[in-house]
Amino acid sequence: MKKRKTEDLSRRDFLKITGAAVSFLGALELAPEKVLASADTSLETRPLKFDVSPEDDQILRMQSDLRRALAKPVEERRWVMVIDLRKCLGCHACTIACVVENKLPPGVVYRPVIIEELGTYPNVAMRFLPRPCMQCDEPPCVPVCPVNATYKDENGVVVIDYDQCIGCRYCVTACPYGARTFDFGDLYTDETAESEGIIFGKPSASAYERSASYEYGETRQRNDHTSSPIGNVRKCHFCLHRLKEGMLPACTTTCIGRATYFGDANDQDSLVADLIASPNVMRLKEELGTQPRVYYLT
Amino acid sequence: MNIKRFLYGLAGLALLIGAWGLYDRFVFGHANTNYGSYVVWGLWVAMYLFFAGVAAGSFMISTLDFLFRIPIFKGTGRIALWTALVSLAAGLTSIGLDLGHMERIWKVFLEGNPSSVMFQMVWGYTLFGLLMLICLFLAIRMPESRLLRVLMGIGLVLSLFVSGAVGALLGVQAARPFWHVGLFPVQFPVFSLASGTAVMLSVLAFFGPKGDPNRRQQFWVLGILSVALVLVKLYFIWADYSVSIYGNVPQNVNAVREVLFGPYWWAFWILQLLIGSLIPVVVLSQKKLVQRPMLIGWMGVCLLIGYAVARGLIIFPALTIPEIENLANAFGGPHLTFEYFPSLVEWAVTIGTIGMATMGVLVGGDFLPLYLQSHKKGKV
Repeated sequence: MKKRKTEDLSRRDFLKITGAAVSFLGALELAPEKVLASADTSLETRPLKFDVSPEDDQILRMQSDLRRALAKPVEERRWVMVIDLRKCLGCHACTIACVVENKLPPGVVYRPVIIEELGTYPNVAMRFLPRPCMQCDEPPCVPVCPVNATYKDENGVVVIDYDQCIGCRYCVTACPYGARTFDFGDLYTDETAESEGIIFGKPSASAYERSASYEYGETRQRNDHTSSPIGNVRKCHFCLHRLKEGMLPACTTTCIGRATYFGDANDQDSLVADLIASPNVMRLKEELGTQPRVYYLT
Repeated sequence: MNIKRFLYGLAGLALLIGAWGLYDRFVFGHANTNYGSYVVWGLWVAMYLFFAGVAAGSFMISTLDFLFRIPIFKGTGRIALWTALVSLAAGLTSIGLDLGHMERIWKVFLEGNPSSVMFQMVWGYTLFGLLMLICLFLAIRMPESRLLRVLMGIGLVLSLFVSGAVGALLGVQAARPFWHVGLFPVQFPVFSLASGTAVMLSVLAFFGPKGDPNRRQQFWVLGILSVALVLVKLYFIWADYSVSIYGNVPQNVNAVREVLFGPYWWAFWILQLLIGSLIPVVVLSQKKLVQRPMLIGWMGVCLLIGYAVARGLIIFPALTIPEIENLANAFGGPHLTFEYFPSLVEWAVTIGTIGMATMGVLVGGDFLPLYLQSHKKGKV
């Protein structure tokens, strides 16, 4: 009896959906065969259309802001990141997205989410603090580098030239935010068991790990322990390679709580400009005079 | 047993252990080290600081002979210079192996950033090493030349600069309150002189030619100098730690607590204070004991152990305190920990560099004309 009911419902649903689809296509003056015929049209030739306006969704607005910023001369942009601590869920999606985007090996992390427990039981609360590189305007890590391997590029982002870095790690000690990690050459598959015909997967997984990362728009493979970025210091770079292609940083687009914002603070119409004008803005360790470009809303 | 033969054997064994460390370092890179992305500098950096300090200090001691021409130190200059050179080589080996890309070190010379303290230090030590080589050559071939005296004068300034630069290397770091001490560039040359004095006590006591009439006086002066420098060093430590604790800046206080009561308590209380300070101070301040060269030599070794540990206790504790609370638990993975104890590979390489320095002093003493008896020169 129960099964019959399910079948009835399915039949009814099918009729409803078909009817609605025919009506919809009719309203659009499109015959079903025309719709099918147009299905082979490639994405490249078909402009993407959004029914949602940038005002309705912050990601769309930030993408719109980004396009506007990229149209400006590079020296007129001021990339900033804003993180709303009240909206952060502590899901670590941004951390993982960053690891995937930049193919980070074990032990290298650009954007950990620090979990703090406030208060004492039973009056406790959790606070989550995502910590990317602060991209300081007065970065303590830059002047200490003995070979100018780390510097603020034309975008105002603190970058590392992997071919210049000697791996002395002086910059790591200089960073007050712990935002730099050293690439020791570890692989996720290092300790993985392998046995031909019994345990599969390591060769292909290892090959994937060793395949190229595209940070800074460069192609770098992890061939051996001497090839950069192994033996180099690494850090968040606001996904410069994505920005160049008109995409937001990976952490921003993957934030399920919509807690991370990114954009050009020099554009008064941008979302980030609005946000950093609010009174509940703070920056980490401002007393050190580092002038971070990452703002937190509290 | 002859001390020299014993030390030859020990140095040879240390070099063998070091060879295994080198093999691991070159085949596996930094994978088997225990320093990481948080405790980013480990034993090798501490030993670099130590050896570089010994080098600068030994040079300072050599100026007693070649620059200031103090009669009782006549004949000690060459071995002091050689010890300085050998120590510098050991220090540079230690720091070279610590680099992620040591093959790019030339970039510091050709594509460097002069405003970096590390750049200044690398250039300074390079010039210092070259100058020491020239001085040693002159000291052997033309010990009475005016050029030697001029170069020794320049070298003395350079030795103060390079050892001060090591202090500045740490002192400029506002991110680490434990290091951000304005007087570090002043303290480090004092530490260097202390290390140089200690190493000369050992070298002269173990390997100095027997029958030198000035030896006892040299031991007495170097011993008293060591006692004074240990007391000065202890005062610096007291001043640093007490001010830090009183100031109550958490990151700073935690670093001091780490030294005094944390995982390194034994290194501080037993190795640095008891073995490296208290025992040598008691022994070296008793004039009658200067008649026992072996004891003096071992007191030099005790002092050196204390100074080496002190360098480690400057480096590690500052790095074991998270820059942001709970950072340690934010993301897991290899080399992402705020706890540090050197790995086997790190120990092996360090034992190797110590063996290298010891072997260098022994071989140099046997094959180069480094030891002179002061009375033979007739200017006592």
